[in-house]
Amino acid sequence: MKIMKPISRALRRPEQVFPTRMTLGVMKGKLKGAQTGHSLLKRKSEALTKRFRDITKRIDDAKRKMGRVMQTAAFSLAEVSYATGGNIGFQVQESISNNARFKVKARQENVSGVYLPQFEADINESINDFRMTGLGRGGQQVQRAREVYSKAVETLVDLASLQTAFVILDDVIKVTNRRVNAIEHVIIPRTENTIAYINSELDELDREEFYRLKKVQEKKQIATAAADAEMAAKKLREEAERLNELEKHETEDVEKLVVKSEEDKEDKGEADQEKTVDTTELVAETEGDVIF
Amino acid sequence: MASEAAKNRTILACMGDEDTITGMLLAGIGQVTNEPGKERNFQICTDDTKSEELLAKFEEFTTRDDIAILLINQHLADVIRLEVDSFTAPFPAILEIPSKDHPYDPEKDSVLRRVRRLFGDS
Amino acid sequence: MADTSRGWSADTRTRLSHYGNFLADINQTLSTSVIEQKLNKKLIEDFNYIKSQATYPLSKFMDYITYSYMIDNILLIITGTIHNRDKGEILKKCNPLGWFDTLPTLSITTDLNSLYETVLIDTPLAKYFHNCLSIDDLDDLNIEIIRNILYKEYLEDFYKFCLAELPNPTDEIMERLLSFEADKRTINICINSLDTDLSSDEKLKMLPSIGLLASNDAIKYQLSELSDLENLKILMSSVGPYKDFFNDSTSAGATSKSLEDSFYEYEMNLNRNAFTQQFTYSTIWAFIKSKEQEIRNITWISECIAQNQKDKINNYISVY
Repeated sequence: MKIMKPISRALRRPEQVFPTRMTLGVMKGKLKGAQTGHSLLKRKSEALTKRFRDITKRIDDAKRKMGRVMQTAAFSLAEVSYATGGNIGFQVQESISNNARFKVKARQENVSGVYLPQFEADINESINDFRMTGLGRGGQQVQRAREVYSKAVETLVDLASLQTAFVILDDVIKVTNRRVNAIEHVIIPRTENTIAYINSELDELDREEFYRLKKVQEKKQIATAAADAEMAAKKLREEAERLNELEKHETEDVEKLVVKSEEDKEDKGEADQEKTVDTTELVAETEGDVIF
Repeated sequence: MASEAAKNRTILACMGDEDTITGMLLAGIGQVTNEPGKERNFQICTDDTKSEELLAKFEEFTTRDDIAILLINQHLADVIRLEVDSFTAPFPAILEIPSKDHPYDPEKDSVLRRVRRLFGDS
Repeated sequence: MADTSRGWSADTRTRLSHYGNFLADINQTLSTSVIEQKLNKKLIEDFNYIKSQATYPLSKFMDYITYSYMIDNILLIITGTIHNRDKGEILKKCNPLGWFDTLPTLSITTDLNSLYETVLIDTPLAKYFHNCLSIDDLDDLNIEIIRNILYKEYLEDFYKFCLAELPNPTDEIMERLLSFEADKRTINICINSLDTDLSSDEKLKMLPSIGLLASNDAIKYQLSELSDLENLKILMSSVGPYKDFFNDSTSAGATSKSLEDSFYEYEMNLNRNAFTQQFTYSTIWAFIKSKEQEIRNITWISECIAQNQKDKINNYISVY
């Protein structure tokens, strides 16, 4: 129905929020709300538009009908001038009293929450300012013209109701469609973007956390390795002592052996460190329970 | 919203040539009071009536708070077409009506043109 | 519409050759009101031409003819004064046939009192006002009642004048014409006042005391007491010339031939017959009235053409 202007990218930017798990929950709720609202408003707009089309069609018909009715009415006035032989306009104008005979009442009609006024002719039959008009001649024609015009004005009143409904509906439909479009093209994308942003931020946090834990793990490993080495050394020493006792002549050799094994340990630690960085996945698998 | 305003709007107003006014008055829409600004709810406009006068009356009738419907001869509405076109408030409802010498032309009607604009040509 | 209107305006221009070039200088789209205006102008010119040549008693006779239009004009001014309207506007609406020299002076009066004084002193209608209306009546009574009271006075006065001052064939013809005029008003007033709350006394005040209906007191009284159209029909069926009028007009104005039409037709027949007598003043009256009818007919026909109601175009009165 209308051509949409391209919506500025800026409108869809994520909102400025703290990327926390709680905000994520709020945003997810908001998205859901927006989607429900969107479908509701869309349905309202459709209902109104249906009514609107109906009314516009009736306006078209009524306007054409009015043309004919008014012509008949004008003709009845011609009959009056034929009968009275003159113009009664001035007399008529001057006999107007301070209370109109023909008034309208406004009734309300509710269409999808929109109040449409419905005018109704409210004729006070007790008021007749023209009872005397044309007393001498043409009185019957005057009264007849009066009736014809009353009918004509009733048609006009109906038409006015339609027209007012048209104007109001036009307005409401515009507003509703604007809302539908805003939700569809701004609010929903923006909320989605916000959720994506929060998710990415949370992922990022997770990765940082993981790295930190990794680091802690590594330190622990080094410490464990050192402890192991010491234990091994201790064992070796004990072994050596035992051997010493068994083979006292081999003391020198044993001392050499201890020194060598310590050097080996240091080399192995460096290699381990390099390996951790490369094999994060492997470690993550093996030590998944620590992190998650 | 508009519904509240509609309650107090009970009378019709009319701007037109003498015959149209006479007819409308016969139907009984006329009301003459002493209240300032609301003396008469009808105005006879001839071919000599200047557009400023038409405009002033149009303003007067559209701003009065007791008028529900304003009837105006189409040939007069043509003179102040811009103002009629740009009057979009729901109240009072403005109806363009034919006069004896100027038959009704749907192509000129402000509201019908809006209808057409919205739906193409239906 | 524009096409048809141009079409028929050209048509009307050529067909109404009797009126000479009366429509020749109209540039704008020809509308019914313009035609009517021009026709009336022509009638007034004719009338004034004859009047300027007239000597007594014709001049007086023609004065009397203008009095009926004066009544309308004065009432126009009275209405205007009551509602404080712009007098210049009202003067423009006055019928030129009922114009008299002091009419503009009437229009400068501002209140009813001075208006009443002026009417009593300055206008040819003074005697009618003097006889039947007081200053209070102007204020209290409906303008239509005043109009009809004045008209009654006028008819009676005219009638007296005709019988007293005019030579033989004229007075007879005028008696017929004026009697019918009076009867027509009587019937109309009775019908049109059926729905109103006028008392029979008030009605009696408006009913002329001349004419066929008035000559019979019983009928006149019954007329003023009428309560519905049926009774009127029954009453009228006893009155010779008028009994046919009500046969085909079943309800007010609903049939193709209304009561009003019957009246007009009868009146026109009387007028036509008035021409059959030679050397009478009544010819002038008949001429004016026939011309008026002609104007109405032309207006009617133009109206029918302008408004696409061609099926009703023949509903005019033609007797010649």
